[in-house]
Amino acid sequence: MSTKSIIQASHVTKTFTEPVEFKVLNDISLDVERGEFVVLVGPSGSGKTTLMYTLSTLDTVYDGSITIDGVDIKSLTKNALADFRNSMIGFVFQFHYLLPDFTVLQNVMLPAQRKGGLTQDEMEDRAMKTLALLGVADQAMKRSSKLSGGQQQRVAIARALINDPKIIFGDEPTGNLDTKNTSMVLDILNDLKTEYHQTILMVTHDVEFAKRADRVISIRDGRIVDTEEHYSPIPAVRP
Amino acid sequence: MKQFFAQRPLLRIAWVHLFSKKRQTIVAMLGVMFGVTVFIFQAGLLTGLQTYFIEKTVNTTAHLHIFNDVRTSRPQVLDLNSDTSSTWNVVRNQKPRDEERRLRNGYQILRDIERDPRVEGVAPYLGLQGILRYGMSQQAATLAGVEILREDQLFHIKDNLVSGQLQRMETLPNGIILGFGLADKLGVRLDDNITVISSKGVALEMKVVGISKTGITLQDNTRAYVSIRNAQRLLQQSAAYITDINVRLRDVDIAQSVATEYSSLYRYKAEDWKAANANIFGIFRIQNLTVSFVIISILVVSGFGIFNILMTIIYEKMPDIAILKAMGYRDGDIRVIFLIESIAIGSTGGLLGLLLGFIASKIVGMIPLNIQGFVSVQYLIINFNPLFYLAAFCFALTATTVAGYFPARKAARFDPVEIIRSR
Repeated sequence: MSTKSIIQASHVTKTFTEPVEFKVLNDISLDVERGEFVVLVGPSGSGKTTLMYTLSTLDTVYDGSITIDGVDIKSLTKNALADFRNSMIGFVFQFHYLLPDFTVLQNVMLPAQRKGGLTQDEMEDRAMKTLALLGVADQAMKRSSKLSGGQQQRVAIARALINDPKIIFGDEPTGNLDTKNTSMVLDILNDLKTEYHQTILMVTHDVEFAKRADRVISIRDGRIVDTEEHYSPIPAVRP
Repeated sequence: MKQFFAQRPLLRIAWVHLFSKKRQTIVAMLGVMFGVTVFIFQAGLLTGLQTYFIEKTVNTTAHLHIFNDVRTSRPQVLDLNSDTSSTWNVVRNQKPRDEERRLRNGYQILRDIERDPRVEGVAPYLGLQGILRYGMSQQAATLAGVEILREDQLFHIKDNLVSGQLQRMETLPNGIILGFGLADKLGVRLDDNITVISSKGVALEMKVVGISKTGITLQDNTRAYVSIRNAQRLLQQSAAYITDINVRLRDVDIAQSVATEYSSLYRYKAEDWKAANANIFGIFRIQNLTVSFVIISILVVSGFGIFNILMTIIYEKMPDIAILKAMGYRDGDIRVIFLIESIAIGSTGGLLGLLLGFIASKIVGMIPLNIQGFVSVQYLIINFNPLFYLAAFCFALTATTVAGYFPARKAARFDPVEIIRSR
């Protein structure tokens, strides 16, 4: 356990009591290093998605401990946890979850506005740069509901990146896209990893996706059954 | 506007929610609006009439009224002197004692009260029942024997005169002022001579020197003023004989305490104007209660309207709430969004209601009605007290905030994982 790890999970167990008592996560211990691209795979009902939500601080009901960037998640109050998530974590879901009546720019700026500390102009500037990075800067003033599915998902990634988070969590981010858009999103995530050394943890069914990861963790019946390392990431200093 | 919203994402979200449900938002607003309108209108109308009535009453009845409270029924002498638990006493036809209604030392009490610094004016009064006859027509009347100038100081009789002159009561030895309705029923006009007959059988020839109209129907139909000397003559009594003393205070509101003081001081009953009109204040209280119920139920209904629309919005916008929470918006932020929405509906509806209530009151106040009843008025008297407007607005805002709080709390407690995973 060194400072190389950004996520440290030890003996995480989560039990559902409805309809019958059932251990959805069974004593899982796991480290994710800085700059690592980790993919969780497994059949449906294996607990991989639950593990992702637990590691990402959204799900707070479990036994064991999770530490992110040296902070014990269970020690945080509800509001502190929200603030922590706001500055440390970005999410990309299967659906884009953009606010439909807001423009693309407004959507991307929402996490930054919660965080504060920047002027309106600085926030806009940063949002535009992030949109440009994802190739959707020209859509900034459109309503988010007017965009295509692939564009919307790219805007959602931009939104996840706006506060410069330490980790990006994903729940099947390509699950709702066609092949062309899927590979585009994969390329983007790959770039984030290789060029910006962004730590990424994703749940996926997608084999293509899994191939690009540094590490693929297979989950079955709430346990880690297999870990496949593609190559060791080089610890890198973020630009 | 754009700049304003740019820096306040929660406000923008609330705004967008309300606009995405235009029709329901407007309906909820109208609910609040009508509640407030009814509040303003009812309260204005009711208290307007009540205030008018109280003003009239304060002007036509004394703040304090001192009189000899003669008890006509007295305990059986036999009962007082024997044990009634084991015996049964029957005494038939025990007559009321012939007690005098007069105030002993009435004029002394009057002069004494006159020196009280809290007192603005005092007037002696001698009341009697009489029959007024004019040719073939006759009417029963309550005759008020008064010193007309003192009486005027207390009750502003001059202002109520529709014809005639007050001074002639002093200059003529046999002047009489009739209530408007009374004169009308008798068919007399100013300067006609009528005959006044008392219960003692004394008849006096009197000249109508004035006709007064107070606006209180009962008084106008039965009241006549004569000089106190003539009243004494009608009752065959001496010059010191008076039955009542009326007092006008500088401050109406201390009437009750002064009444208690005087009744223990002079050992005669002293009644303040509120006690004298207790039955009417009782009616007012029931009226106020009824109207309060109506207003409260309207506001409750409009509260439900707001509750309803917010619940709809919350369930529809569940994904938005989930993502906001995932990106680090606090529970409190989510609550604020929906509270802003309910307060926006409440305050807009409330302001519109104030405006509409004001306009409705103005319009109704302009319609001539000529009501002849309890009081006779030409127009409805409406109270435009700004306190009502403030109270109505506060009520509306409170009702809507309470109604909005529960949906807001519910939204804040949504579990984002549950929402996202159920898609």
